[in-house]
Amino acid sequence: MNKTVFLTRVGLLSAVSFVLMYVNFPLPPFPPWLKFDFGDVPAMIATFSLGPVAGVVVQLLKNILYFLFKGTATAGVGSVANFLAGVALVLPAGLIYRRYRSRSGALWGMSAGTLSLVVTMAAFNYYVLLPLFAALMDLPLEAFVEMAARTIPQITDLRTLVILGVTPYNLVKGLSVSLVTFLLYKHIARIFKLHTRQNMVE
Amino acid sequence: MLKGITIGQHYPGDSLLHNLEPRIKIAIITAYIVSLFLMQGPVGYLAMMVITLAAVFIGQLPLRLLLRGLRPLFFIIGFTLVLHILFTKGGTVWLQLGRFTIESQGVLTGSLMAWRLMLLVMTTSLLTLTTSPIALTDAIEGLLNPLKRIGVPAHELAMMMTIALRFIPTLLEEAEKIMRAQMARGADFESGSVLKRARAMIPLLVPLFISAFRRADDLALAMEARCYRGGEGRTRMKVVLIRLGDWISLASFIGLMVVLVWLGI
Repeated sequence: MNKTVFLTRVGLLSAVSFVLMYVNFPLPPFPPWLKFDFGDVPAMIATFSLGPVAGVVVQLLKNILYFLFKGTATAGVGSVANFLAGVALVLPAGLIYRRYRSRSGALWGMSAGTLSLVVTMAAFNYYVLLPLFAALMDLPLEAFVEMAARTIPQITDLRTLVILGVTPYNLVKGLSVSLVTFLLYKHIARIFKLHTRQNMVE
Repeated sequence: MLKGITIGQHYPGDSLLHNLEPRIKIAIITAYIVSLFLMQGPVGYLAMMVITLAAVFIGQLPLRLLLRGLRPLFFIIGFTLVLHILFTKGGTVWLQLGRFTIESQGVLTGSLMAWRLMLLVMTTSLLTLTTSPIALTDAIEGLLNPLKRIGVPAHELAMMMTIALRFIPTLLEEAEKIMRAQMARGADFESGSVLKRARAMIPLLVPLFISAFRRADDLALAMEARCYRGGEGRTRMKVVLIRLGDWISLASFIGLMVVLVWLGI
């Protein structure tokens, strides 16, 4: 693929990703600070149509733009977490699809991405994110656990907090992004393949 | 749904703060954040607040603009305060209801942390308020340039970010238009489960993506017609130089921070 086309397509997909990230919404069973958005969909499209590197770059640019525009209450920790989650979702999908270019390859890729998102974010929350937030707010970690235990009584320690509080959110997120990408891809694959061919003729 | 979104918060002006070189500005704000986390107590936070307010004054920014930037964060600030009041114990007991107590240490630490968060958000937003997004992108490219040697594509990243910045308003407007068109046909974007929302997104996303791809390919053609061939040997219309005054500002700010942290307040 032509390098300039790669740059402009990744740039535009990052812009779409940012726009979709802006339209976020809380989802009732989850606490209000875990918001849903479809900003990962353009990154997924990028990873399938332009390769895994493009997917990672879209995630990177989306988060830098969001950080610059929306400011931060967490000294950038939230943006780094979102970037990491995005890469965990998009990279395996892209790597698998590159090897197996078919509908089932895409489905396996997105399943692997969702699984990797869930596992990565559980580990990251447990070892880095929650301790870091606790340090940032000058709170003991137990405060988070006790707070969460008031809504979900099964939560008793940090491990159950991650399993019951973080994992379902990432699972729903991975699945919904995969679903939208799957429904979308067949509609738009035709168009950008056509465009590439036109460019080559020109 | 998309109403009331203002992209970017740049507040143009011609003050000392606006004219500071963006790379220097980023360095100064980083120094501020590091110092803020090294501060021990209320005296240090007071000093930092004076510095932030002085910067707001120098930049001739309306204070309400900064306060408006805090609004989305009321939740997390309040959350910090409540957690501290509930879980940090010590000092005198102010209120006792059965096993539940509010103690002075909790209220004190909670207020300090909420204060620190507010300073953090206000000061970082000073950067985006006084620097245009394009200038910021150039600054990021400048800061990444030394990393080119280890394979970081600084120019390409900055170019993609500039392209994204240029098209965000266009795409937002387009998304709004498509949304209205679909809503006029009875589409519902604002309710239902994830599954329902995901399905509802399709008629919005298909035209949005197609238009994005079309614009991208048109832009690539236009760039190549003008002989774009990457960052190698590329010159700029506006060259941003770090002047002596910028270095002096940076040095004196870092000096001030070192003194404040060293005082241990």
